[in-house]
Amino acid sequence: MGSYLLKRLGLTIFVVWAALTFMFVLIELMPGDAVQAKAGEKAVGSAIEANMRAKYGLDKPVIVRYGKYLGNLVQGDLGFSFKNDRSVNTDLKETMKNSLRLLLWGGIVQIGGSLLFGFISAAKKGSWLDKFTTTGSVAIQAIPVFVTGLLAQVLFGVIPVQTFKAQWLNFNFAWPIDGWKLGILPPNFKAIVLPAIVVGVVQMAFLARLLRSSMLEVLRADYLRTAAAKGLPRRTVLVKHAMRNALIPYVTAAGLALVEIFGIAVQTETVFGIYGIGSKVAEAASIQDGPVVLGLSTVVILAAALVTLLIDFSYSLLDPRIRVGDKVAV
Amino acid sequence: MTVPFNDPIPLGLDRDPISPDLSYWGDVRKRFFRNKLAVAGLTVFFILVLLAIFGPLIWSGDFKNARSGFENFRLFNSKAVLGTDDLGRDMLRRTVRGLGISLRLAAAVTIAVTLLGMVLGGLAGYFGGWIDNVLGRLIDALYAVPYVIIGIAFIAIFGRSFWTVMGTLVFTGWLSTARLFRASVLQVRSQDFIEAARATGAGSKRIILQHVVPNALPPVVVSIAFSIAGAILAESIYSFLAIGFIEPTPALGVMIRQARGNFQAYPHQLFVPASVLILLTLSIVFVGDGLRDALDPKLRGAE
Repeated sequence: MGSYLLKRLGLTIFVVWAALTFMFVLIELMPGDAVQAKAGEKAVGSAIEANMRAKYGLDKPVIVRYGKYLGNLVQGDLGFSFKNDRSVNTDLKETMKNSLRLLLWGGIVQIGGSLLFGFISAAKKGSWLDKFTTTGSVAIQAIPVFVTGLLAQVLFGVIPVQTFKAQWLNFNFAWPIDGWKLGILPPNFKAIVLPAIVVGVVQMAFLARLLRSSMLEVLRADYLRTAAAKGLPRRTVLVKHAMRNALIPYVTAAGLALVEIFGIAVQTETVFGIYGIGSKVAEAASIQDGPVVLGLSTVVILAAALVTLLIDFSYSLLDPRIRVGDKVAV
Repeated sequence: MTVPFNDPIPLGLDRDPISPDLSYWGDVRKRFFRNKLAVAGLTVFFILVLLAIFGPLIWSGDFKNARSGFENFRLFNSKAVLGTDDLGRDMLRRTVRGLGISLRLAAAVTIAVTLLGMVLGGLAGYFGGWIDNVLGRLIDALYAVPYVIIGIAFIAIFGRSFWTVMGTLVFTGWLSTARLFRASVLQVRSQDFIEAARATGAGSKRIILQHVVPNALPPVVVSIAFSIAGAILAESIYSFLAIGFIEPTPALGVMIRQARGNFQAYPHQLFVPASVLILLTLSIVFVGDGLRDALDPKLRGAE
């Protein structure tokens, strides 16, 4: 058990290190550096240029800067944007709360919706609801998130206002930076409901389909026939026997889905104009601000690795088969 | 880039590997054409391909430059069937060209991704050992990197062009194909007929080409369909975030980005490229889904 966890931890650290190094190299390879970014197109005197390079440590060789990037990271310093003269830590502090709030509500939509639709779809296999869920989940995964977000705004925002003069939802997504209420209160709820659905719906579809197929697989097992044969009510069979066993692959997939949610959040936040980590990264990317993209991506990678590790550990506690073997059979 | 088509693709291995290939694929074809959604998807896809090929010839003329007056016509206008955008450019002309860009890019990316994924995933799956380990960790690390950072770096390093966007999509796209093909090869390799072939003295090359590859192929067929859709999706996301194509290239993602500030007053500017994009990816995904069902003998009689 202990050696398994240690091995897992070592592997995760290695993968994170490799990913961070790859990103650093990518950003290093981008032409143009901080001095050019600050000076713009104007030619700066060579003395001033050398001065600036020394000030930001850009006169040092790449390997020294790489060491500094990792060293600063360990101390919690994410870097510095030369384009707007700000620390990336400030950007993170400002954007983090909005992103976490969005992800929390998106996660509720994702998990709650997928459990509901997946369960009903498997329990009532072949019904119109099942067909709707399976076809709909394929369809939703084929539509890019930014398109879903824009169409949702038209459908629930523009059309009600223009035709019924009804303001159903609040489209002021400029949430206060220090408002840390998770958007539970009424005015915030109106603003968060649509972005949360848009963030959650893609993976909700994926997870619902996965739960359905793994439940159907479990339902075919002999011990379920036994359970039904000895006269247990269908609900007990479905919930206690089928659902519980089908949840094991579901938990793994949900964990992986959580890691992938950042790519979705980038689009959702951009489309809804939410000031979060994703929209900040997208904005920085569109103006080629390397350090900001690098710093915030680093945070995302670390968070994702932490989540994966936690899920892995809890998973190994749940499923005794994994504790014995040294390989996770996923 | 993480494309959300990581549904488990069933490996078509339960079939009898000795039976002649023709009957299996013939059976697959029969089952595919019984699936109404898949056939509808295939039909729509062909119509869109025809539009992409012949559209630019039929609706020729300027599609890049803003027209004086910036007349923003709505849908079904006598001067422009699908209206014009906020710079007065004909939406129909731009859309058919955007369709062409998406399809050309997706075709190129899918070919590259499938070859690369099959070679690397196949090597890892067949030989195992350190090759498998190195490749596995490499894929893990690259999966962890957000696609945005790859997009901006590639554009800054190689300049903005069709080839850069293609390179970015190939770079992020081969991971899932490699993983899939590795798993498929692993499953085939452990089967008895491979051992039998080895016992009769067949070399690695012969075993791989004659026995492993043809039997590990069914999931790849499905992944090709999803790769096409995934590449189209990814391109539109990159373009929407301004890390792929940019104005005045009429890529669908660029057109949707352009519509962002304007769709409240002129929704058609959003609806036209968005619905074409949705039709395109949906048709491909339904074909892929139909293929998945047709290739999986386990589902026979289950529907």
